[in-house]
Amino acid sequence: MSTDESQNLVTLSIDGREIKAKGGELLIEAAEKSGVFIPRFCYHNRLPQVGVCRMCLVEVKGPRGFSLQPSCYLPVSEGMEVITQSEKVKKAQDGVLEFLLINHPLDCPTCDKGGECPLQDQTLTYGPGESRFAEEKRHWEKPIAISELVFLDRERCIQCDRCTRFADVVAGDALIEFIGRGDHTEVNVFPDRPFSSYFSGNTVQICPVGALTAAPYRFKARPWDLSQVESSCMACSMGCRIMVQSSQNGLTRYLGLDSDSVNHGWLCDKGRFGFEAINSADRVTSPMIRKGDSFVETSWASALSLIGSKIVDAKASGDPSRIGIMLGSRLTNEDIYAWVKLAKGVIGTDSVDSQLGDGLRGEVIAALPRATVNEAVSAKAVLAFTGDIKEEIPVLFLRLREAIRNGRTKLVTVGTRSSSLDKLSEVSARVTPDQARLLAMEVTKDSSKFPEISAVLSKQGVGADGEGLVVLLGRENLAWDQSIVEAFALELSRSLPKAKFLITLRGSNFSGAVDLGGVPRLLPGRSSLETATPVLRQKWANLPAQGGRGAKEMFNAALRGELDLLFLVGSDPRQDYLDSELANSALDNVGFVVSVDTYLSRSSSSADLVLPAAAFAEKAGTTTNLEGRVFTVNQKVTSPGLCRPDWTIASEIALELEEDLGFGSAEDILDEIAEVSPLHWGLSWHRLTKSAALDGVVVPITATALSIRPRAMLDQISTPGIASVWNQGLPSSKTSYFDDGTIEEPGSASQPPAQASVASVEPIWPVAPVQPLGTMRLGYSRKLYGQGEHLMNSPHLSKLIVEAKCRISSKTAKELGAEMGDSLRVADKAGGESLFELEIDDSVGDGIVELIRGSFSNPGFSPVRSDEAVNYVKVERA
Amino acid sequence: MAVFDALGGFKVTIGQVFQPRVTKQYPEEKRKKPPRFHGRHVLNRYEDGSEKCIGCELCAGVCPAGCIYVRGKDNPPDAPVSPGERYGYVYEINFLRCIHCDLCVEACPTEAITETKVLEFSFTSRRDAIYTKKELVVNNDGTPKRLPWEDWRVGDDEFTSGWMRATSPQGSKDFEGRTHWSGELGEGVRKPEAGQSDLKSEDASPRYMIRKVEADRISKRHGGKVR
Amino acid sequence: MSFFNPENLEKAQILVGLYPDKRSALIPLCHLAQSQHGHLSNEAMVEIAELVGVQPAEVYGTASFYDMLHTEEVGKYLVGVCTNVACLLSGGQELLEHASDVLGIPPGATTEDGKFTLEEVECVAHCDKAPCAQVNYRYFGPLTNGDFDQLVDDLKSDRLSDSVPPHGVLSRVFRDAPPMVPLEIIHQERRVMDEAKKARLAAQNPDAGGKQ
Repeated sequence: MSTDESQNLVTLSIDGREIKAKGGELLIEAAEKSGVFIPRFCYHNRLPQVGVCRMCLVEVKGPRGFSLQPSCYLPVSEGMEVITQSEKVKKAQDGVLEFLLINHPLDCPTCDKGGECPLQDQTLTYGPGESRFAEEKRHWEKPIAISELVFLDRERCIQCDRCTRFADVVAGDALIEFIGRGDHTEVNVFPDRPFSSYFSGNTVQICPVGALTAAPYRFKARPWDLSQVESSCMACSMGCRIMVQSSQNGLTRYLGLDSDSVNHGWLCDKGRFGFEAINSADRVTSPMIRKGDSFVETSWASALSLIGSKIVDAKASGDPSRIGIMLGSRLTNEDIYAWVKLAKGVIGTDSVDSQLGDGLRGEVIAALPRATVNEAVSAKAVLAFTGDIKEEIPVLFLRLREAIRNGRTKLVTVGTRSSSLDKLSEVSARVTPDQARLLAMEVTKDSSKFPEISAVLSKQGVGADGEGLVVLLGRENLAWDQSIVEAFALELSRSLPKAKFLITLRGSNFSGAVDLGGVPRLLPGRSSLETATPVLRQKWANLPAQGGRGAKEMFNAALRGELDLLFLVGSDPRQDYLDSELANSALDNVGFVVSVDTYLSRSSSSADLVLPAAAFAEKAGTTTNLEGRVFTVNQKVTSPGLCRPDWTIASEIALELEEDLGFGSAEDILDEIAEVSPLHWGLSWHRLTKSAALDGVVVPITATALSIRPRAMLDQISTPGIASVWNQGLPSSKTSYFDDGTIEEPGSASQPPAQASVASVEPIWPVAPVQPLGTMRLGYSRKLYGQGEHLMNSPHLSKLIVEAKCRISSKTAKELGAEMGDSLRVADKAGGESLFELEIDDSVGDGIVELIRGSFSNPGFSPVRSDEAVNYVKVERA
Repeated sequence: MAVFDALGGFKVTIGQVFQPRVTKQYPEEKRKKPPRFHGRHVLNRYEDGSEKCIGCELCAGVCPAGCIYVRGKDNPPDAPVSPGERYGYVYEINFLRCIHCDLCVEACPTEAITETKVLEFSFTSRRDAIYTKKELVVNNDGTPKRLPWEDWRVGDDEFTSGWMRATSPQGSKDFEGRTHWSGELGEGVRKPEAGQSDLKSEDASPRYMIRKVEADRISKRHGGKVR
Repeated sequence: MSFFNPENLEKAQILVGLYPDKRSALIPLCHLAQSQHGHLSNEAMVEIAELVGVQPAEVYGTASFYDMLHTEEVGKYLVGVCTNVACLLSGGQELLEHASDVLGIPPGATTEDGKFTLEEVECVAHCDKAPCAQVNYRYFGPLTNGDFDQLVDDLKSDRLSDSVPPHGVLSRVFRDAPPMVPLEIIHQERRVMDEAKKARLAAQNPDAGGKQ
């Protein structure tokens, strides 16, 4: 690798100084790396270059002497001579800026970009200072809302093509385009079609002027009264690196950081604009205890002592598994560790689950060889048997899309439903459970029943042992029980031992929960109850003797009256558990429900005791993303009222039981995690905050994980909002945002953790029921904007929550005699019914009805029942 | 001689006896304030009554004492508070911190904030020291609010600002493109100085005519409407 | 519900099939849609987008770029008066102003009865008859103000219906093309040619042959 690079180096001179650069690298980048900043507007390091703004003109020596050339479009070559500062260059820059300002309004004081605007900054630094144009400026209607989230002010647009290029090339939905020609050019959407992209916020972030502004940030603050801290988004399991910015103890916005291994600077809108929910006035701000039908505020002390006595009572019955804990996706690694330690180390119950019927068993996740995102997007081939990634983990979709677009990998999808991955796939195969089994067993064999898939894999050079194959594994169709997916993965991993798996479940930090024992039968470091390390046994005095219950078993136990005390820590089963009917009836039957929550969700509003928790950006800690990468999550604002971080609540409860969990800060917990978990050896707060590791460290830490490239310097024009707050000043030649620190070796204590092998977990294929007569197959999936406390408490995002509709193909509709807009009655297995408006969609297969999870919550109706391997529903005209 | 030496020592003192007195009978009697005296702030209005403040927070950004707190908001479309998209929704000055350096006045792009010469105002609680929009915005006729706890004297509201051009007054056509002074509090009354043309006056700049013709042509090409 | 009538839909599908990249059929399809309706309505653009596999905004962006594609309704007669150099010198600007007065609309607008749309156009290559005008891409010139009045009068009373076809059908994009050559064959032929060229070069210059 290094020899390749050195062979490829070319020597060129910039302003008389010799520098070395990689051959083929763009001049603008090579110059920036050597410390010469060339002004630019249209160039963005994550977009293909177009060379339209002409701001980066420099003098380059050619056969006829020096001439002006755009440095963003010019690859470096051997012996190139470049002048970036001369009369001629200055004149060109003056001219470009004078031209750009002909029509650009001077309403900087009202503009949200004012103070962090590349046009403002570069005009000050490189501009002529005055204009010869006194003519009337071009006028458009001032900001028009092109979506619920984005405002467009066409007067300010300088036609740099960044947003349109992003929408077309990166996001793949060109909903905004240049309209018109010449000085009438505008960026706009198609009439009456909103800019309803999941990635629209990125166009706001990269806009070099104030043409695109975000509705949630509109007029909220100015750059000079913002402060920021780096963190990781916890809206899904991707863990995108973000800058959290706040003003006056109120969150104002998140901006995507360019992290090479994770998000490339992009965010989805749900993550980006979710901060509004944290500022919501409907937060739970003090402990509340149920009195009859309503809540009464109480003190922490009395709430905690009540919990203490409840735990003692439940344990007095002799069976600690009468106490259960359900962990939600809000929790950091430290929160999870503290609660798991409370449960398994102090109380002695193993009934801890972090998945609500929509995940995969912890043992299975732990047994499968793990792939990183980078490995996935550069694999020879990717096999996707997962939910629609665009709807669940949008930024992973961008990464995958970019890789496929650039030919780095090829995608094969397997599943029951059509999804946005189909467009990217070479082959997309529709399977039944039996076919999935066949596929898992003989996917690479010549005799395969799926010749198209094997053909793609063999063409891509995937070995017969799965070498070079990465499987994206998730819940493709929630109407299929997780056991089918688990069996598929285990079977596949057995027949292709070298294939790696990227678990694409959506819940934030699901991976941390598995790694830290937040699922039944596992302990921190993915060890099982039997294989607990001595150091863990020493720290966790009261380890449970036998495996506990998962969410489903806990609910069934509750129905039998065997659950006395249930903690819902950031978890809302009434809304989120797949079989909502089971969750509802079970929760009504639990002795005492304690909900640790940020809002009064469906579950917490019917709990017996509600404790206020600190939300994201109100606490520090770490999170683990889907590939096992651990990042820091930082505090930016103070919690309202009496909210506390979840881990402190666990510690306090332990104190009520006269036990000390033994930590006083999130850093202490991380240190303890590194001590007891073989998977996390070598991890420390110090290491994670070193510049080289800001993009996180994949656990277990290996030598390759440590050779992370230092974060590239921050291009202030690519990410204007971040650099301006960082600098609070004028653009300099280079913003050295992070020094290129190196990271030390993991230390001698490091030893390879015991990886559970696939051989130890037996694939058990459930018996798929025969489709009952008169029923239809169910396609049950998520959309990005489903009902959920976080979205419903965000004023802007809540407008985007999907409508409850059922989708069937036109052929099926004809058979039913129904038309678009008709009302259909959908009945589940237990006879629960609900009415849905029909939408005809021919991407849905015949004989399938598609429902969107989280778009409805009808009492009595749950299309998916937890005791069915495959769910069918009855559909008829209402 | 010793007596004369002693008297010589009192030379300056004795000389002062015959000088006019500088001590004033404050507060009954007050000195005239210098022309550029910096006193308590006001937030001005345009002639049509709309507020000049657009909530841009430049004053807050430049304030060395950090005593200004501003928050902007979208102008309500049916009843705009100020011209343009944005108005100052919250505007607070903490006069316990203010050092009356006038940098806010210099930073203000619309001359919304100016300083009067009122110097005497005191409070009995810290909270009262924070002036909000209620106290700061001038009356509809452009005169400052004279608050009961302030001691206003003649001339305290005169000669407080530089000149400005109305950026784009809302509403009435009569105010379109007019250059005027905001020399006094509130509305502009002074005539433009030499070189600052009043676009409505007889000697209008020919450039304006070109601009107007161009603008008409542009809108004509588009069938008279702007998409 | 298709925007295209069955006949045009068939044409459209053939047009799409003509190109290796469906997207290339965008402009021909715009002309086809315009021939059906006189202008490109939103529904037309949405349908074109579906046919060529792009977003409607991209069709709109393309259509709004070109002057001969109209995204707003135009009259039965599209009157274009040239104001480019040759016509300008012969009084094209005055003719445009006269036209504007006679029709009672500014350039770019359509009369209320929907009969005329007036346009200011660049050179239409009829300079020998300057100042000239075009009606539905049929040329008239040189035109005095009186000639123009006469022309309008003739158009109003449909006396010119033989020589001036209704607007929109002028852009005849439909053409016969040989069946598309599969890309593999094209690539194969290119390879053969490249190799032949390489061999030729190698024969001419044995030293340089190895490098490339």
